[in-house]
Amino acid sequence: MGAVLTLQVAINFVSPLIPRYLIGLSARDTFILEFSSTMVCLILAGKVGSNIASEVGTMRITEQIDALEIMGLNSASYLILPKIVAALITFPILSLLSTILGILGGFLIALSTDVVTVYDYIHGLHYAFVPFYVTYSIIKICFFSVIITSISAFQGYYTFGGALEVGKSSTKAVVYSIIVVLLFNLILTKLLLT
Amino acid sequence: MIEVKNIDKYFGTNHVLKNLSASFQASKINMIIGKSGSGKTVLLKSIIGLHIPEKGEIFFDNREFISAKLNFKREIRKEIGMVFQGGALFTSLSVEENVMFPLNMFSNMSKAEKQNRVDFCLERVNIKDANKLFPSELSGGMQKRVAIARAIALNPKYLFCDEPNSGLDPQTAILIDQLIKEITTEYGITTIINTHDMNSVMEIGDNINFIFEGENIWQGNRVEIFNSDCKELNDFVFASELYKKIKHNI
Ligand SMILES: Nc1ncnc2c1ncn2[C@@H]1O[C@H](COP(=O)(O)OP(=O)(O)OP(=O)(O)O)[C@@H](O)[C@H]1O
Ligand SMILES: [Mg+2]
Repeated sequence: MGAVLTLQVAINFVSPLIPRYLIGLSARDTFILEFSSTMVCLILAGKVGSNIASEVGTMRITEQIDALEIMGLNSASYLILPKIVAALITFPILSLLSTILGILGGFLIALSTDVVTVYDYIHGLHYAFVPFYVTYSIIKICFFSVIITSISAFQGYYTFGGALEVGKSSTKAVVYSIIVVLLFNLILTKLLLT
Repeated sequence: MIEVKNIDKYFGTNHVLKNLSASFQASKINMIIGKSGSGKTVLLKSIIGLHIPEKGEIFFDNREFISAKLNFKREIRKEIGMVFQGGALFTSLSVEENVMFPLNMFSNMSKAEKQNRVDFCLERVNIKDANKLFPSELSGGMQKRVAIARAIALNPKYLFCDEPNSGLDPQTAILIDQLIKEITTEYGITTIINTHDMNSVMEIGDNINFIFEGENIWQGNRVEIFNSDCKELNDFVFASELYKKIKHNI
């Protein structure tokens, strides 16, 4: 993605009035602000969300959740809390990885083609860096990880019926997670950046 | 002792349990028998609170359960062992871990003591060389037996079994019946078994409740069951030629 982004920005910056280092800057900011937080979380909503919903849903229809309840456990917190904590740890790491790989991708383009020089690209990465953007990104990821895991777990937990309903819960989990993530993206951006 | 008083349970407009009362005694095998769909599972799940009846009271040794606070319910539930109709083993845990699970949650035994307890329980249900297998790798009957091992791991005061020996061969079924009978009398457990298997009723049933369309219409022991004049019960018990012959020979 970083490579494609860099290429496209470079190709479209045709005016000689625009400094070339803005290419590096735009790669950096796109990744930190949106791609590594929102886009990565949307992808994770599809992967992790459906996974959690079908796992918890299967536990529901095979009475494993009832078995937990009968032992006197609080099945909801026993099953769902660890998943939220795990997401709060892993999502930011994945997002960081995505930023690094994305910026590296742009760097490879700078290195291997002549749309932008390595110097300009690196200069752009340093230019007008706003540290708060990183904080903003981390805050968003934390919100999104809680949203995705709790919505998916909720959908799974309240599955009733059979295997067909587990499939439906899993689809609903992904759809609702994505919608709520996009909505919160707007709200958080409005609150934090303006 | 568990007492159920006048409970009603609806699913939408489907009136499943109708003003049902029953009492289940300690150290005895209490049985709930009845046709498929008569409401046995719903009754069992209502007693342990997985379904909430619309009306009625349930007492666990004089402790009212339905209106109790959630924390109190959890306390009572720690004294309950349950074998679900489908086993309900935790699919992500091995056989050993399944039986170990309640011990990990609620006992303060050492690791070695837990391991001993697990081995003991698995041995009692005749599971050998399967400790490390996962539920998906077991036969249906083995899953049932592991479920029983898990239910008795914590020495429960109340044991609920939803058709513990359906899907088992006659030999293993009798073994399971004997096992439940033994632990019931040995530890003074109040055991409630759902079944439609007349063999196990005859084998171990001390106190039998016959549920017909959500009503408890007959109660008695395995001797009285042959001499009752309740028509629905007779239709149920003497559905097979074998039991008709047995009746004639008594
Ligand atoms: N969760 C539920 N939601 C709605 N209806 C239910 C539910 N569980 C059971 N029922 C209804 O309650 C009735 C009794 O079902 P139950 O499972 O208690 O039968 P059963 O006596 O255990 O039968 P079996 O011997 O086949 O297990 C059935 O008519 C069933 O449709
Ligand atoms: Mg049933």
